[in-house]
Amino acid sequence: MLRAFVRAFRTPDLRNKLLFTIFILTIFRLGSVIPAPGIDNAAIKQCLQGVQAGDSAGLYSLINLFSGGALLQLAVFALGIMPYITASIILNLLTVVIPRLETLKKEGQAGQAKITQYTRYLTVALAVLQSTSIIAMARTGQLFQNACVPSSYMPQQDPLTLITMVFVMTGGTCIIMWFGELITERGVGNGMSLLIFTQIVAMFPSSMMRIWEEQGPWVFAIIVVAGLILMAGVVFIEQAQRRIPVQYAKRMVGRRMYGGSSTYIPLKVNQAGVIPVIFASSLLYLPQLVIGLLGNDTNNSVVNFLSTYFNPNGTHPVYMVTFFLLIVGFAFFYVAITFNPAEVADNMKKYGGFIPGIRPGRPTAEYLDYVLTRLTTPGALYLGVIALLPMLALGASGAAGNFPFGGTSILIMVGVGLDTVKQIESHLQQRNYEGFLR
Amino acid sequence: MILGLSIVVMLCSVLLIMLVLLHKGKGGGLSDLFGGGVTSSLGGSSVVERNLDRLTIVTALLWIVCVVVLGLLINRGA
Repeated sequence: MLRAFVRAFRTPDLRNKLLFTIFILTIFRLGSVIPAPGIDNAAIKQCLQGVQAGDSAGLYSLINLFSGGALLQLAVFALGIMPYITASIILNLLTVVIPRLETLKKEGQAGQAKITQYTRYLTVALAVLQSTSIIAMARTGQLFQNACVPSSYMPQQDPLTLITMVFVMTGGTCIIMWFGELITERGVGNGMSLLIFTQIVAMFPSSMMRIWEEQGPWVFAIIVVAGLILMAGVVFIEQAQRRIPVQYAKRMVGRRMYGGSSTYIPLKVNQAGVIPVIFASSLLYLPQLVIGLLGNDTNNSVVNFLSTYFNPNGTHPVYMVTFFLLIVGFAFFYVAITFNPAEVADNMKKYGGFIPGIRPGRPTAEYLDYVLTRLTTPGALYLGVIALLPMLALGASGAAGNFPFGGTSILIMVGVGLDTVKQIESHLQQRNYEGFLR
Repeated sequence: MILGLSIVVMLCSVLLIMLVLLHKGKGGGLSDLFGGGVTSSLGGSSVVERNLDRLTIVTALLWIVCVVVLGLLINRGA
């Protein structure tokens, strides 16, 4: 393991890539600490501590998690990559609905580039929207649940300062988007997911410290052990795949011989990754937004209903069941979008491949569909259970809501970590064998 | 002073957004977020892209300096 590290740094081009990635990530973290102009940094830190003591940070905890705490500090990079993720989700869903996007997607590389460009435009639009709403909420003090006076952390509230802040945050989001693309292009791993990964890991030490201080060393130890076990389980399932054998027929083209090899199609148990969890959690934050819009009025029956059943801090059974069902549904939905059995079967037929014992064409597509459905079922259930586990555990023990091994964060950490290490390894193997994973 | 700097920051932000949007988007959105295939970009960047990179870096530096100075000025003024 250590030798692999040394070797990774000895390979010149890999070393450059690693250093470049680390460099970008460092700048990214720096920008998440610099406050936007017009924000008093010292005052906002004090305010944050007050909010976290009373566990009311729940409303934006997921978004705040994705921005690595930058959001509640109103930093330059406050929005993080959330706008980009939201834009990608929206465009992904729209490809099913709008025929023009679907044709673009089928066009291959050129069409995909166009969709990416649309995603980027949409990201800017969303960034403007989100930064405006966040600054508006900060101005009224709603962002911190009215825990402190807005004029303390926002000394000047004239329109000029506010508009400048919107511009700065939008610009920051654009820089983040560019960083992500730079890492994908010249660094190691997928830029966007690495950026999320960094933000989640950055939140880690402080929340661990809080547990140590508030709950004592015993609870701390138990949580660490439970987290490690959970991580091992997640790695186990993330790596699991079913290999469907494919045999290619030999064919002669001119004097050359092609094909004749046997390979496999790897079908992962959890083909969808963490996306269903992210979808489901962002959907479940909608009720909270509605409450925010309607005001916290206990007489209003809608508010009452939403705050009893859909309170993200609470562990009401209805909330958990909805969360679970949404995750399972989205898992199937996402797998259906990304893996099209008919298309795969068609491609195989074109190149003279077949699954032993099954006729090419429609029977192959049916077989693939059958296997995929049966694989996705446990995969989706697993995603749901992992995402729910912290809530169940917390419901039983009644601990505070800031559990660092939350389902979403653990899935992202493991998923992105594995992916990046795999990519480093494939670079290493160009030079010599024996990488990180054996 | 604050007014002037604010305008500079706004202009810089708009310029920055335009420059970033001018870049050719790499990475196919969400599908290769979180464990997609390994996407290798073949071929180096063109001259246009390289100049664009330089311009973006300069603008970003100017932007962040202005943002920090503006933040200090506003806090001092209050």
